Amino acid sequence: MRNRLAGIFWSILFLAVPVLGVGVFAIAPSIDVWLPKDVSSHGKEIDSLFYFILALTGIVFIVTEMLLFWFIWKYDAAARGDEKATYIHGSHTLEVIWTIIPAVTMLFLAIYQMNAWADMKMRRPVMKPTVEVVARQFEWRLRYPGPDGDLGTPDDLFLVNDLHVPVDEDILIQLKSMDVLHSFFLPNLRMKQDAVPGMKIPVWFKATETGQYDLVCAELCGWGHYKMKGRITIESREDYDAWLEAKYREQEATQPEPMDEIL
Amino acid sequence: MTHFLPFLVTAMNRHSTFMCRNRFSLSPVALVLTVCGSLLFVSGCGKTPAASFRPNMVEAAKQRLKPEQEEQVATILEAMFGTPDNPIAMPETGLDIGKLRLAAGPVHSDIVGRKNGLFREHCSHCHGVTGDGMGPTAAFLNPYPRDYRPGWFKFKSTERADKPTHGDLVTILNNGIYGTSMPSFELLGEAKVDALVEYVKYLSMRGEAELNMMRYFFELDDEDEGKLPETRDFLVEEILLPVAERWQEAEDAVIEVPEMPEVDLAESIAMGKELFYGNKANCVKCHGVTALGDGQANDYDDWNKVVKQWSDEVQSSHEVSTKEMSREEKAEHREYLARADKALAGDALEPRTIQPRNLRQAIYRGGRRPIDFYYRIHAGINGAPMPAAAGTLTPDEIWHVVNYIRSLPYEFDGELGADRSMVARDRL
Repeated sequence: MRNRLAGIFWSILFLAVPVLGVGVFAIAPSIDVWLPKDVSSHGKEIDSLFYFILALTGIVFIVTEMLLFWFIWKYDAAARGDEKATYIHGSHTLEVIWTIIPAVTMLFLAIYQMNAWADMKMRRPVMKPTVEVVARQFEWRLRYPGPDGDLGTPDDLFLVNDLHVPVDEDILIQLKSMDVLHSFFLPNLRMKQDAVPGMKIPVWFKATETGQYDLVCAELCGWGHYKMKGRITIESREDYDAWLEAKYREQEATQPEPMDEIL
Repeated sequence: MTHFLPFLVTAMNRHSTFMCRNRFSLSPVALVLTVCGSLLFVSGCGKTPAASFRPNMVEAAKQRLKPEQEEQVATILEAMFGTPDNPIAMPETGLDIGKLRLAAGPVHSDIVGRKNGLFREHCSHCHGVTGDGMGPTAAFLNPYPRDYRPGWFKFKSTERADKPTHGDLVTILNNGIYGTSMPSFELLGEAKVDALVEYVKYLSMRGEAELNMMRYFFELDDEDEGKLPETRDFLVEEILLPVAERWQEAEDAVIEVPEMPEVDLAESIAMGKELFYGNKANCVKCHGVTALGDGQANDYDDWNKVVKQWSDEVQSSHEVSTKEMSREEKAEHREYLARADKALAGDALEPRTIQPRNLRQAIYRGGRRPIDFYYRIHAGINGAPMPAAAGTLTPDEIWHVVNYIRSLPYEFDGELGADRSMVARDRL
């Protein structure tokens, strides 16, 4: 009797995996741990790809887990008395089927997502960079090209962590790293790109809504990785220009700012 | 021995049958492991011992303080400044205890959900709980994190020997120090940055008061019997106020900056260039003829110099012959050396030479606003070999040098670099 209890314990434990797994997904949106609000022009496509793959893998996950549960439950030695196990050498047909189906599915996904990938990583807008982002332990150094539109000229504007971009316009970011691997991650813009020391990597997007969102590092980059947090502010063209102008004036200050402005 | 064997084999057989039949059951071993693991986990989350300030071992060894003298300094310091978990702000310090409490202590949320323990959350891993610049990550970094205890700060709007203003330190926390490992804390918000600055001032005052006390033993009379007088008057007048007042005075001692002269920028840059390479300003001495920071680089900044000079001294004491010494002298000498070696190994980082700034990278530690450059050239950089130019250069001349330095990263490129024929050799 004791052994039968053990069989029940293990099969229920295995059953708990799909039940809890599906349960967590079911309640996630209502406790606000689901995808963050999307404010990018390409986000819909990324999200629909995500949902499509989630559904596909979700079905496979549930079926596999249910089978695991079922086999442990049904073929528990304690429940089947002295019945002997049958020795089989395997099924060639079955193996061909469960090889071909995933292979075809993978191939389909690879082709199906190609256009979205090319939009995000290959079809770069023809323009000069809006801003250069240099990742370093543990902050985001920003350099705006200033009125002449060129980086590396005396009118460059230097800032840190506080990224601003105009809404409804193509944004091209030139991403660099000063020390180790970092990852430039804008969750609300569905944008994530590794920053690699020695490489100058273009990142582009178009924001569709104004607001302030997170900019975080998504690659473990050292002990202070967790505090490598910046902020992106998406604003109207007028606000953006006014902000640039004000920051540039601050950078060119030849007299101290009044105390109340610093504090 | 042999007659035990059959019993053992039977026992093992029995055991293995048991194992086979119960392959899927919860084995007692697994149960024990789980329980032990949980216990370890729970005990790991228990209370850690309260944090404490580290004494300034180097200074104590240098001043050859007796153990009871060290103890007295620690006791007085705790009475005046409290502990890392319970700071005290004596009214003479002018510090705000509310801000200090927000920054001090272990990281936790108070009853209204406000985050406390900001210094230990954000700063202490580099600057150390004591503010001695020797947190766990300090030794990896170049330059080393700042040691607040001597009370020297580099980037500020006051004269070289003066303290920085509160606003100067806020600016540093907001902007970080590009070119070093100090990141920006601007997004923490004004209140938290403000509290952290207050706490940095507190640690610096505490460190300087400690130094003052350790150095004061020298000035004691015979009747003091090697002990500091423990009267409030003495401690406030002789130990605390000389430090605190200088912090308070700094707020009204900001360098006055005359307006930039109204000269054509290109002309100003040309004049600045002449000064840069000339004998009057002599910037080339350290920043190099290419301005790449490749001039004199075998000097030390003041923090490293203290360690360097003293470790050299200790080294030469090691080589002193003890033949002529009496037995007591020998013992004393050995004790001093052992203590000095211990202090150098445990309370100091290996000294490093300076790195004069490469002025062509557009990376400036003390800020990139023209006014930041003006302050630095006018007053020099406290703690670094960079001298004050205020006596040698007129304000207009300082502005020309500022304009030239700001043009250096772009000299051979962009608008200002029209004169491409200019090479380093020609400038001399």
